[in-house]
Amino acid sequence: MQFFGGSEISPSPPAPTASGNNAHMMYVFNRNGVCLLYREWNRPLHTLNAQQDHKLMFGLLFSLKSLTAKMDPTNAERGNLGVPQLPGQGCSFHSFRTNTYKLSFMESPSGIKIILVTHPRTGDLRESLKYIYNLYVDYVAKNPLYTPGTPIRCELFNTNLDQYVRSIA
Amino acid sequence: MAPVAPRSGDAIFASVERVNAELFTLTYGAIVRQLLTDLEEVEEVNKQLDQMGYNIGIRLIDEFLAKSNVARCVDFKETAEVIAKVGFKMFLGVTASVSNWDADGTCCSIVLEDNPLVDFVELPDTCQGLYYCNVLSGVIRGALEMVSMKTEVTWVRDMLRGDDAFELQVKLLKQVPEEYPYKDDE
Amino acid sequence: MIGVGKIKQYSNVLDKPLSKGKQEVSLSAFAFLFSELVQYNQTQVDNIAELERRLEDAGYAVGARVLELLCHRDKGNRRETRLLGILSFVHSTVWKVLFGKVADSLEKGTEHEDEYMISEKELLVNRFISIPKDMGTFNCGAFVAGIVRGVLDSAGFPAVVTAHFVPMEGQQRPRTTILIKFAEEVLRREARLG
Repeated sequence: MQFFGGSEISPSPPAPTASGNNAHMMYVFNRNGVCLLYREWNRPLHTLNAQQDHKLMFGLLFSLKSLTAKMDPTNAERGNLGVPQLPGQGCSFHSFRTNTYKLSFMESPSGIKIILVTHPRTGDLRESLKYIYNLYVDYVAKNPLYTPGTPIRCELFNTNLDQYVRSIA
Repeated sequence: MAPVAPRSGDAIFASVERVNAELFTLTYGAIVRQLLTDLEEVEEVNKQLDQMGYNIGIRLIDEFLAKSNVARCVDFKETAEVIAKVGFKMFLGVTASVSNWDADGTCCSIVLEDNPLVDFVELPDTCQGLYYCNVLSGVIRGALEMVSMKTEVTWVRDMLRGDDAFELQVKLLKQVPEEYPYKDDE
Repeated sequence: MIGVGKIKQYSNVLDKPLSKGKQEVSLSAFAFLFSELVQYNQTQVDNIAELERRLEDAGYAVGARVLELLCHRDKGNRRETRLLGILSFVHSTVWKVLFGKVADSLEKGTEHEDEYMISEKELLVNRFISIPKDMGTFNCGAFVAGIVRGVLDSAGFPAVVTAHFVPMEGQQRPRTTILIKFAEEVLRREARLG
């Protein structure tokens, strides 16, 4: 970020605890389920074509959100299973872990979904996802040549993202 | 716990990078001038300004959410307050007030006393039907649509038309839930 | 002509004291507005040169108004009459008002007598932009070039003004140079003034 050193517009990135290449891949979806961005850093195995892969990921999030909200023991106002919610409404999950990877997830009330798949031992990435959302705001939403809803092809975003993701522990 | 929505945008406005309002005002003036030349009809210019506002609104909402830490508002009343107190302050450095609620809480007025879009502006006779600030109504409509609220935003008072304030009426039409965008057989 | 932005025509705008120019809006508000200016103009053209020309036109309108405002406010309506005077006015006063800082540099062209360059490491309008490969040498700085041309032209210094990316050694991003090529008449007048 040295080039934008004078800018106060993004909060400084959460301090990494160690550096390494922990990230496998990342997805950004908009509220219409369009995959705006897919990045891959370390994914040895591909079993599906890209489109099926994105659709599967989006479907997983959609169902999991519905399930977690339905299971909420603290909130009476939960909808029926499968009934759509407003983004950001009710409870939601922010990560899950398997024996081979960890998936971290954030969704803004505007329906932007950021998914980061990392090494299973990665720590809490909520602040990191927020930081990535800020990168999205600066270098995608404010890019005069970006048309909303289209795949992200913004060099500044990708450069900053790569640099940041590499620092995630 | 979800973060509590800030009641004022003062602190955010003070912390973000700012530019001289004149650059903003004059750039907006140049846009309106370009539209008047391109489209000729004042009515068409009004429509285009609203459309451009909408386009801005659907992008600006993410900046708003990222910088303000506002989570989902509980109802439309809170939403209107947040737009007036936090939104206007955070972007334009001015505050607005909310009034004229209808009985079921789905329609209100947002009143602006100070409006940086209109410094140095006076409508000549040939542009009397122009809603010079129509971009603002579009921004609100676009931003709210991205947080699942379909609204209708119209001007009630306009100082450039001789009124004593700028007043926008914001009417909530419906809340749009997220839908699964793929069909099963796709 | 359209009265938008005119400051002299009507009594009640005149009655209002001219603002001191200390009000601010967020950089984001400007960035979103500027993005939409670019997006709208993209729908009105079918090539990059045309897009730059339209952005320059929009900038020109801003530049002409800026000169009017600044002369009124800062200089008691006295205008610069010499070439170096007006250049330094653009490089420092105009830049400071519009972009909050003096421009990084003002240089005379080495190959041509009539050329001057104002450079900025990171021009405000290029702050958040990524230019796709298929847009080649497109530079949003055309808008700023238009502002410069608007100021110069209104002050009686007609010029051709263009914006260019210039790669910088050791930097990821190129800087933007605003190239000013004065009209012949300007140089002749300057020579007469001695």
